[in-house]
Amino acid sequence: MAKYKYTTVEEMPPLAFSLESTRKIPTGSWRHVRPVYKNKTSPCEVGCPAGEKIPEYFELLRQKRYEEAWYKILEDNPLPGVTGRVCYHPCEGQCNRKPYDEGVAIHNIERFVADQNLRNKKLPRVSESPKSEKVAIIGSGPAGLSCAYQLARKGYHAVIYEADHEPGGMLRYGIPDYRLPKKILDKEIADIESTGVEIRPDSRIGGSVAWSELEKYDAVFVAVGAMRSRKMDVPGEDMKGVFTGVDFLWEINNGDVPKIGRNVLVVGGGNTAIDAARTAVRLGKKATILYRRTRTEMPAVPEEIEEAEKEGVRFEFLVAPVKVTGSKGKVSRIELMRMKLGEPDASGRRKPVPVKGSNFQVAADTIISAIGEEPDLSFLPYSFLKKGVRLFVDDDYSTGVPGIFAGGDAATNPNGTVVNAIRAGKEAATSIDEFLGWRTKSNGTPHEVVRPEDVNTFYFPHESRVKVPRIPVAKSKTGFHEVNKTLSEAQALDEADRCFTCGTCLHCDVCMTFCPDVAISKDESGEYVIDYDHCKGCGICVNECPREAMELVPEGSREEVEEAQQV
Amino acid sequence: MNGKNGNNSGNGGLLHPSVDKVLVIEGTHAASYAVKLARVQVIAAYPITPQTSVVEKLSEIVSQGDLAAKFIKVESEHSAMACCIGSSISGARAFTATSSQGLALMHELLHWAAGSRLPIVMVNVNRAMAPPWSIYVDHNDSLSQRDTGWLQFYAESNQEVMDTVLQAYKIAETVSLPIMINLDAFVLSHTSEPVAIPKQELVDEFLPARKPSFRIDTADPKAFGALIGPDAYMEMRYKLYSAMEDARAVIRDVDSEFAEKFGRSYGGLVEEYCTEDAEIVLMTSATAVSTARIAVDELRSMGFPVGLVKVRAFRPFPVDEIRAIAGRVKKIGIMDRNVSFGATGIIYQETKAVLYNAPVRPPLFGFIAGLGGRDITPETIKEIFSYLLNHDEPESETIWIGLKSKSAKQPEHPLPQNPGGQKKSEGV
Amino acid sequence: MGQIKFQLPPEEILAPGHFACPGCGGTLTMRYLLKALGRKTVVVIPACCWSVIDGPVPYSAAGVPVFHTAFETAASTACGIKAGLESQGDHETTVVAFAGDGGTFDIGFQALSGAAERNEDFMYICYDNEAYMNTGIQRSSATPFGAWTTTTPAESPKAENKKNMVEILAAHRIPYLATASVAYPDDMIAKIQKAHDIHGFRFIHVFSPCPPGWKFEPEDSIKISRMAIESKVFPLLEIFNGVDYRLSREPAGTPVTDYIKMQGRFRHLGEKQIEQIQTYVDEEWERLVRKLAPEQHLHQPESRVASKAAKVILAKSQSRKGATS
Repeated sequence: MAKYKYTTVEEMPPLAFSLESTRKIPTGSWRHVRPVYKNKTSPCEVGCPAGEKIPEYFELLRQKRYEEAWYKILEDNPLPGVTGRVCYHPCEGQCNRKPYDEGVAIHNIERFVADQNLRNKKLPRVSESPKSEKVAIIGSGPAGLSCAYQLARKGYHAVIYEADHEPGGMLRYGIPDYRLPKKILDKEIADIESTGVEIRPDSRIGGSVAWSELEKYDAVFVAVGAMRSRKMDVPGEDMKGVFTGVDFLWEINNGDVPKIGRNVLVVGGGNTAIDAARTAVRLGKKATILYRRTRTEMPAVPEEIEEAEKEGVRFEFLVAPVKVTGSKGKVSRIELMRMKLGEPDASGRRKPVPVKGSNFQVAADTIISAIGEEPDLSFLPYSFLKKGVRLFVDDDYSTGVPGIFAGGDAATNPNGTVVNAIRAGKEAATSIDEFLGWRTKSNGTPHEVVRPEDVNTFYFPHESRVKVPRIPVAKSKTGFHEVNKTLSEAQALDEADRCFTCGTCLHCDVCMTFCPDVAISKDESGEYVIDYDHCKGCGICVNECPREAMELVPEGSREEVEEAQQV
Repeated sequence: MNGKNGNNSGNGGLLHPSVDKVLVIEGTHAASYAVKLARVQVIAAYPITPQTSVVEKLSEIVSQGDLAAKFIKVESEHSAMACCIGSSISGARAFTATSSQGLALMHELLHWAAGSRLPIVMVNVNRAMAPPWSIYVDHNDSLSQRDTGWLQFYAESNQEVMDTVLQAYKIAETVSLPIMINLDAFVLSHTSEPVAIPKQELVDEFLPARKPSFRIDTADPKAFGALIGPDAYMEMRYKLYSAMEDARAVIRDVDSEFAEKFGRSYGGLVEEYCTEDAEIVLMTSATAVSTARIAVDELRSMGFPVGLVKVRAFRPFPVDEIRAIAGRVKKIGIMDRNVSFGATGIIYQETKAVLYNAPVRPPLFGFIAGLGGRDITPETIKEIFSYLLNHDEPESETIWIGLKSKSAKQPEHPLPQNPGGQKKSEGV
Repeated sequence: MGQIKFQLPPEEILAPGHFACPGCGGTLTMRYLLKALGRKTVVVIPACCWSVIDGPVPYSAAGVPVFHTAFETAASTACGIKAGLESQGDHETTVVAFAGDGGTFDIGFQALSGAAERNEDFMYICYDNEAYMNTGIQRSSATPFGAWTTTTPAESPKAENKKNMVEILAAHRIPYLATASVAYPDDMIAKIQKAHDIHGFRFIHVFSPCPPGWKFEPEDSIKISRMAIESKVFPLLEIFNGVDYRLSREPAGTPVTDYIKMQGRFRHLGEKQIEQIQTYVDEEWERLVRKLAPEQHLHQPESRVASKAAKVILAKSQSRKGATS
């Protein structure tokens, strides 16, 4: 406590009035906890496999700094136009706004940012100076593209070998135009190429290119994806009129029109099944999806299921194929069996259990089997370690063969999604960087993730989530026009405003507003400064922070504090 | 000052060139007109008998536009004093008037006003404290406020009421202390006398606009009267004490300046009447002084060596003046129109206190008379003088004059046969 | 829309280093008051926490002239200062009596009523922390039913409801009367600024929580203030001329139990007593609603600095009204 300056009676004023401000009294010495600004991790950021810095690019967006927002996404994901359309957006599932009213439409915003930069001529930033090492990437799907891009950003020369004529893998050949127009993909691949990534099409390893050619590279990343549909394993599935989902979509995306009948049955509950059914509808056919569990267990993105429903796709739940029958090698019927839900399995979903004696037959002229995909790894010369049908990789995407890394759907632990492939590419690039000796392994600091209860929801009046604009169903079901539209600028800004921006200080001044000790101010650069000479550590700023960007830390000993104040 | 030559406290100055007009008015109205002449800026008051006519006349003066003051008709004397404190700290000249119970209600804020060193002037019409209810004069109300840090004056005439109000603002604003001017209920407050109203321009010269050395000012923000520690409170009290000490000289100077300008003087802290050759003096205050003047004249005409001392200022107490008188006389009688229960009359007490360390200490006699409006007549005064002439020392600490009692018999004190009686009576 | 933000006048007149307890609601009230009124302000402080908070001699935190006065004289001293300034030709300076609930509801009530009746031209701010806090938490007539204080111990907590000061003052038919909360600083500042522009007696009753007195963590000061408003315990309103009632914020109507349970001063209360409090709050609310101006049950004071929060509230209330009508 300060010593008050008293004068003698002769020097004192005639009555007790003040001579100076209390600013001289260091009431900060009362404090036993100290508020500090500390940004934390938002759950969406953790939820995003690619690790996009969502709060940061949202803030840039709110400031209408669209190009900077785009660059911010590109740090982690070179395909925002793609993921903004087709990602299953696990980020939104983690959104702290979800338990409050409705989660923020993050991936629509991502798409908006990407589309704002469609005509952008500037290249994505290359962060480091060129290096001499070269890395080969097998496959130009999202994993391959992501890995090549990240390596290029780190200064490596990355060469992608692509078996098909056009790059993109599943993005090009697995996803129909009405969900992902080719021009978006082409633009983003072109952007990736502009960073120095070299893509060699029609270069199938083990085909036109020998595996040995890869020996001249310093490292290899195997990202061939899972381009082969799994078998239904039922009698008659080789008959004419039975397609696999992958093949069916490949043909469509290659510009061909497969010969299918009027009555299309699609077996499966994933995105491939939905894509196949919706494509069939666009070809003027009647499409029915047969799924062995119920709607809640469907792995497809819920919005896609809804869209399919709107377009007239029928759903038959709790049925599984038993056999395919027909005449002259051509399918005419499928025998199905009723299922019921049993105990949860490893995936946490309730397992379908056959109902004995429930078999029945349904007429069908076309059956599309879309029960899952698997990789074709026959080109690999070494006896790489596998797990099931996939290439076994460690947490760092190494295969066990020095210098050979793998990721995406070809490797273990995929979930068959674009964004996981992007993550694999990005993280494998880091591992390759380490392998090549340019970077030491770093142990990531543990995330402090903001929980819903940490958000001060008072500051966020209830507002409903943006309704994503789409073309009318009548139009969408008759062609391959993109169904969902990009948000308008106003919509994007409004939706971005709904974001709590968990854990990231937005300089909203709430802390400053409620400080009873007038101990928070802003410096010239607009950053907050806490006056610890006077902050009493009441904690209102921390408690009121709408987004948990502050915290209280224990104060040191009184002596330490006083010493600090003397400095 | 010599009473015979200097008795200007009556109506002797009516023809002085400073006089604008002469009005025959009550004491309360004399106060009201003085407030007008002093160009008071804020008045806050609450009615209480017998102060009401001060307020009524001021309401009239203000509402007729004769005085550009804010007159706040508050809901209590407590608020009246708070308003005065507020307006005074803002730099304005403030006035209030009250009496008795109202003054007692103000008590807390009398401390506040003095502690804030605010030159507020208040007229208090002395009225006895209840219960039982009384609306008549005695001085216990104001003397109970002895230690609040206010200067206290007791007026003898309506003219003195007017003149003391004018002097009071000058004194108060010089020493930064509040002043209470007391006048006896009804005897002055509701008795009309001719009062010389001085010319406004001369009053303005005598009492220019207030120039506070400190005040509320948004350009120089200060906090007034905040918490203070034991390491400085005492010094603040010492300052107040010193200011009151300094006030003695200021009172004398202001009275002289006033006399020069307006032809009337009141002797500063005390006024002496026929004391230069007196052996026995009576000290008293307020309207009883006028009555005593008659008794003194009569006794002197009979040859008795008596004199009179008017205690005009009770705070600050006239220490030097009383010591000087004590050095010249053989006996001093003090007539208090008040009583401190468990002690004596208050002026008696105070006089004893100042004389204890004095080189010459004549016997002191403490009389209590005129409580609750009981008449003090020339006979009352003569009875006191008679006691003084007949006794070398008092028979008791307090001598109640005119008390109706069967047990406590009221001794008759016939005047001695020989007017030079003092010496003679010694032989009796 | 997005986040509620408060845009307050930027100037900080209140200095740090004052003697308020951590998390003091009354101090935030002073801070906002000074922001709202600027430096041409004089503050009169009777005995209350602020007699200490402003700092001991020779210090002062307020940054404007402060006159410390006796407990029961906030209104009368302010009235004198205003008259004094006016008499010297200063018609600009705003005089504010800044008193606690004890100095307002209890000991200062007479002077307050007198000044209100005379329609004296100053502003009276009561920062209500619902007990005599400066003297160490004794009950006042602003202490709510059921609350513990050192003079209403938990074995026999306060048995009477809080005095309804707003209605008492409304009965004086003063030109402007408002309630405010430290949790809604933009609303408070808008009201103070509105009061500033009105001539005559203006009274603002500010709900100002006291962490040590109510027994809650200082960090919860704002949260508790908000809960008091949202649970209808302390409605935010304005009353013009004592008769024209306007609600400033439609409370969410959260249960009082959430508010009660956050405070140690209510810890001893059982469910029945809390229910009793809820019933009382509901009844008081009903009585208030019946007094609201018929066309405009909700009225948001216009802030000089456009406030996003205020607009949000207004827009919400209007859309709600639209939905019901």
